[in-house]
Amino acid sequence: MTITAAPEAVVSAVRHKTGRTRVIGTLIGAIGLFIAIVFGFGSLSKARTSVTFQPVNLSAATWHIGTLTVPTQVTCVVLGVILLALGTEVVVRRPLRGVMVRFGFAGVVFLFALILWAGRTFGPSQPLFINFTAILIGSAGVAMVLVYGTLSGVMCERSGVVNIAIEGQFIGGALVGTVLASTTHSFFIAAAGGAVIGGGLGWILAFLALRYMSDQIIVGVVLVTMMSGLSSYLNLQVLSPYPQYNLGNLAPNLPIPVLSKIPILGPVFFNQTGFFYLMMLLVATVSFGLFKTRWGLRVRAVGEHPQAASSVGINVIRVRYINVVLGGAIAGVGGVAFMSVQGQFQPGYTSGLGYVALAGMIFGRWRPSGAVVASVLFGISVYLAQNLQTYQIPVSTEILGMFPYLITIAVVSGLIGRVRPPAADGLPYHRD
Amino acid sequence: MLNAQPFAPLKAWSRITSRSPLVVTFFALLLGLFVGALVIIITTPPVLDSWRGVFHSWGGPGHALKVTFDNVGAAYRSMFTGSIVDPPQFWHSVTTGQNWSLSLTPLSETLTYATPLIIASIGVGIAFQTGIFNIGANGQAVLGGILGATVGSMIHCPTFVHLPLTLIAGIVGGMVAGAVPGILKAYTGAHEVIVTIMFNYVIYAFLIYVLLSTSLQLPNQQNVISRSLDPSAQLAPLFGASTGLRVNWGLFVAAGVVIFAWWFLDRSSLGFDFRVTGANPNAARASGINSRVVVVMVFLVSGGLAGLAGIVQEAGTTHFIDGGFLIGSAGIGFTAITVALLGRNRPMGIVWGSLLFAALGVGGRAMQAATGIPLDLSTVIQSAIVLFVATPVLIKEIFRLRSTGGPALELATKGWGS
Repeated sequence: MTITAAPEAVVSAVRHKTGRTRVIGTLIGAIGLFIAIVFGFGSLSKARTSVTFQPVNLSAATWHIGTLTVPTQVTCVVLGVILLALGTEVVVRRPLRGVMVRFGFAGVVFLFALILWAGRTFGPSQPLFINFTAILIGSAGVAMVLVYGTLSGVMCERSGVVNIAIEGQFIGGALVGTVLASTTHSFFIAAAGGAVIGGGLGWILAFLALRYMSDQIIVGVVLVTMMSGLSSYLNLQVLSPYPQYNLGNLAPNLPIPVLSKIPILGPVFFNQTGFFYLMMLLVATVSFGLFKTRWGLRVRAVGEHPQAASSVGINVIRVRYINVVLGGAIAGVGGVAFMSVQGQFQPGYTSGLGYVALAGMIFGRWRPSGAVVASVLFGISVYLAQNLQTYQIPVSTEILGMFPYLITIAVVSGLIGRVRPPAADGLPYHRD
Repeated sequence: MLNAQPFAPLKAWSRITSRSPLVVTFFALLLGLFVGALVIIITTPPVLDSWRGVFHSWGGPGHALKVTFDNVGAAYRSMFTGSIVDPPQFWHSVTTGQNWSLSLTPLSETLTYATPLIIASIGVGIAFQTGIFNIGANGQAVLGGILGATVGSMIHCPTFVHLPLTLIAGIVGGMVAGAVPGILKAYTGAHEVIVTIMFNYVIYAFLIYVLLSTSLQLPNQQNVISRSLDPSAQLAPLFGASTGLRVNWGLFVAAGVVIFAWWFLDRSSLGFDFRVTGANPNAARASGINSRVVVVMVFLVSGGLAGLAGIVQEAGTTHFIDGGFLIGSAGIGFTAITVALLGRNRPMGIVWGSLLFAALGVGGRAMQAATGIPLDLSTVIQSAIVLFVATPVLIKEIFRLRSTGGPALELATKGWGS
């Protein structure tokens, strides 16, 4: 007899995973059903919403794209049915990958259907149309900041150090970036300053975690506490008496000549600030570096099995130092990017984006490309949740404000067990 | 005489130069104050101006040092007199027997601040001992405060029923907020750090919602503010309202929690399960401890204590909640994390740590009033202290302390996968 039963552990692991897939599929289907019934059939039959696609810029538009008026009822029902089909597909086929991406997609569709539903009747104060391009541009701004954060996380965790201080690096970068941009009027210098402060915070984390083998998560959390205290201290002590340090300059848009004229996509991708292009460049660089170069192989080896890496002559501590400092610098630039789209610095302004980025990194399976997907999903949901009151949604603003965090929690709980962090992530290393 | 006892002062000296936790904490406090002084120096214009003067005149350095010491000294002096005792005022009371309430106000404020902090920190400390990092204590405290405010202001009954009911409502609120991350961690494996942080934001949004859109909001008000607790649901001041001393009966609740924590961790079987799980999860599983149940229970206990801290803060001090409840530097749930680390997760250590951080927090307020230096400096000093306490080896190297053995490496948290 050559046939042997699969080991008990394997069987239970597979069952566990498929069980969870079914739950997630059911959830997606339930969201679809909710959209179809409540938003679709629940809305008035005459209701319609117009969606506009904004041209590149209103004065010198090359292509005018008119408004698209869609009947609310039919659209919501269609969206609901699509999600229902997606949920059914997940339950029936039980795909091993991409389940959570579908779930994130369902969340975004839900928010979009909510807007359509809210725009079904035009009240006196309601906007006359939903500016689709503006939503995409706003989401791109949030997603950009999140990408910086997730890339920082990827850099650190691939080398085996948990960087939970991304939020603190955001705060530090935002503060320094605002001051430098206000005094020098140069966002290049501001970005450099943000990289220095972020890298400095990364160095403190690396120093305490690598040299003294402190608990990385605790050091990270305490660094965030320290930075939030320091930022509100500096805000009161320096920025309030000297408002010239906190002008809240916005970074200028640098349109790329031809590409920026493409409808919808042009303004979103090619009429952006320098931080956006830098972000795209960084994604490509980190992705290429981690998976196609010798340096990347070493970093991944250090993150997976530092003893083995060390035995072939890689200096584990040095690789980790370099990665954590670089990762911190990326997050610091992310903080400057945040201020470059938000304006004046206020304490507590980042409101947990650094932690959302951390969840995005997990969602993206510790890969730069996955990080982008995660950041886009989270970016759209954060932006929509923050701006839904513009569309007069008859739901309290505060309840809507919970959405990004609830989606993050749902995604993180649905993911673990499906994703595998670098094996040595968070573990201290010492040469023996 | 090989086994001769060392000369007593020498023994004391060797104790001072050793790496015992107390000594490390003391040096961490010194370094934390030093960091705070640095921050004051580089952000106070007169001090910076005086240092600029160093390049202009021979008397510059001396003058600059004097200005620096004056500014930093004034800040730390007001911190001390505002949180512990103002010696001239105290002496005045001792000699004349008058104004005792004024002399004791700083101590009373520190104890008032420490009361909920002790409770929340013990909650966080119990979770740490089980190897679980509960960053959500602040959100749990806020939900405890919301539920407590509901029971305390909407139900009317005599004190001996109302007060316990209010406190229990606070505990239940904290437990509910703790149960969600606990259940998610136990049954899906979601890392508690992310879930609890996200939950803090969710609960904060919920607080604003409740205070704006439900009947808990103070009637006829547009502001984000709740109804006040009935007097029967408040923790009365210990020395009566007329003295103005705010220290209240919550202190005894905190004392009860300390005793409970000691009993729970050292004497109860559930506490034993907790500690075993924290020390070695594999051994715990092998010996038949249900790790899922332990995780959920930890979050219930920890969250319940955090919720109790929230309602004690509310019933003892503020008597209502508003949009700023436990926000920013008042976020006792976040301070509790640092206190638990400072106190090495032991009940008595946490008591001393809470008193120290409460003194820093209250002193920060006094410093802001006296010198205009923002009270957030306290947060910076506190987190610096904890960073140094978390790396005892660094302290050892800076102050050349001798090792007294003990565990070199302790991890309180775990990576994403577990």
